[in-house]
Amino acid sequence: MFGYIVINQSEMKFKEYDVYRSYYCGLCQSLKERYGRLGQLSLNYDMTFILMLLTGLYEPREQEAQCRCVAHPFEKHPTRRNLFTDYVADMTVLFSCYKAEDDWEDEHSLKGLAYSRLLERKFRKKPLLYAEKVKNISLAMQDFTDAEKQGNADIDTLAGLFGRVMAQIVSCREDEWKDNLARLGFFLGKFIYLLDAYEDIEQDIKKGTCNPLRKRYEEPGFEEECRQILTMMMSECCKEFEQLPILQNVDILRNILYSGVWCRYEIVRRKRMKDSAKEVTGNEL
Amino acid sequence: MSYDPYSVLGVSRDASEEEIKKAYKALSRKYHPDANIDNPNKDWAEEKFKEIQAAYQQIMKERTEGYSYGGQDYGSGRGNGYGGGQSYGGYGQGFGDFWQQAGWQEQTSGYEEEPRLRAAGNYLRNGYYREARNTLDGMGEHEKTARWYYYSAMAYMGLGSNVAALEHAGKAVALDPRNMEYQLLLQRLQSGGQWYESRQAAYGYPHAGSNDLCLKVCLANLFCNLCCGGGGLCFGGYGGRGMF
Repeated sequence: MFGYIVINQSEMKFKEYDVYRSYYCGLCQSLKERYGRLGQLSLNYDMTFILMLLTGLYEPREQEAQCRCVAHPFEKHPTRRNLFTDYVADMTVLFSCYKAEDDWEDEHSLKGLAYSRLLERKFRKKPLLYAEKVKNISLAMQDFTDAEKQGNADIDTLAGLFGRVMAQIVSCREDEWKDNLARLGFFLGKFIYLLDAYEDIEQDIKKGTCNPLRKRYEEPGFEEECRQILTMMMSECCKEFEQLPILQNVDILRNILYSGVWCRYEIVRRKRMKDSAKEVTGNEL
Repeated sequence: MSYDPYSVLGVSRDASEEEIKKAYKALSRKYHPDANIDNPNKDWAEEKFKEIQAAYQQIMKERTEGYSYGGQDYGSGRGNGYGGGQSYGGYGQGFGDFWQQAGWQEQTSGYEEEPRLRAAGNYLRNGYYREARNTLDGMGEHEKTARWYYYSAMAYMGLGSNVAALEHAGKAVALDPRNMEYQLLLQRLQSGGQWYESRQAAYGYPHAGSNDLCLKVCLANLFCNLCCGGGGLCFGGYGGRGMF
């Protein structure tokens, strides 16, 4: 379900890209320190966005460093870390636990099960500063997986439950920005969930798994409708974003919110167009 | 003298969003309660901080919503009322002002309404979206008039169900195309997309040829997942420019 909230690198300055990457690498390091190599596997771009969002809003003190990465042993990468790095690392792992468990139940992926058990064990050992938050996220996540199992096909309900999980993750403090952040996370979560459904629709129909876009898929104007719905989610999300007093790295964040989030959508859409064109010409022959 | 949030932040009315955010940041750093723990005048600082906060939020709200509010009493306790025990406010924030704009005065101009519909309207006006939803859902299929769809769209919006809200606003307009209120609501729900797309223009939509770098980033992401899943060898650094 992750990998949707990415940058559009072609529209980004080199300097901005380096900054983005330093947060990404910082998050990776934090995951490694807190959860070992296994934890590192749950690293993703979506959570990097949340980290940069919180950093931009609260401007915490940061530690800059250099690290070497096993994947690129001869290059040193600058890393940037702050107090939100560890928070986001914890949230990433928490989310991955549920996701892996979900995969186990859906597809009986043994790897998923083993992964979830191992991570969970590590997670429980952590003395958490925000136990209440973790409890809320766990509850929201539980509701979400339950609803998915029941196969409730309503778009708003399913996407909304995932949105609620994201809202919990993003609104990390009880302060004046809590409501803005919660709504931002809510609509971002809905966007992610629906884009995921949009990407998997053919596969889900084939396998008979739950997909809220299923009914619409059979109707004409599916593409147009999906686009409108996704745009609506991002516009609600961005309305909240623009109200936040964020100056630091704001161009990177806007690159993601206004452009990057459509990268994966475009790949999926173009592939689908190509496939259906092939089908048509295939039939004619 | 009327209240001017811009003067609280010390910026002019035509200041850019960036200037406003800068002014807010500077002031909030100075007056934030955390920065004034040892200040003998910390109560005063806190008052000041609240004032700055309110002014900032009003300005940003006005600018993102695209229209002006009638004074400083906006957002007074609306939106937080809906049940369900969620700790965060309703999703219909900024929506409350739609009521004023859409002219709820119509209520007093002798609009004949079914009692349950009227109750739903009252719930909506006070931000009780969940209760409005329940009331509306309790009505039969044959009672679903244009007005019903109109209220239903608002209740959905307040609960964050914007897909259903758009659908029902469309139905209300289809059933009664000449009603200005319904059209206004539909426009309002659709305009978010236009607002977004107009801003999007500045950041470049990932069209372009198949050689787009952006696509490569996405692929790099997949690549990373793949190799992580395979042997756990990927330590997260994603490629770097050299890799492409």
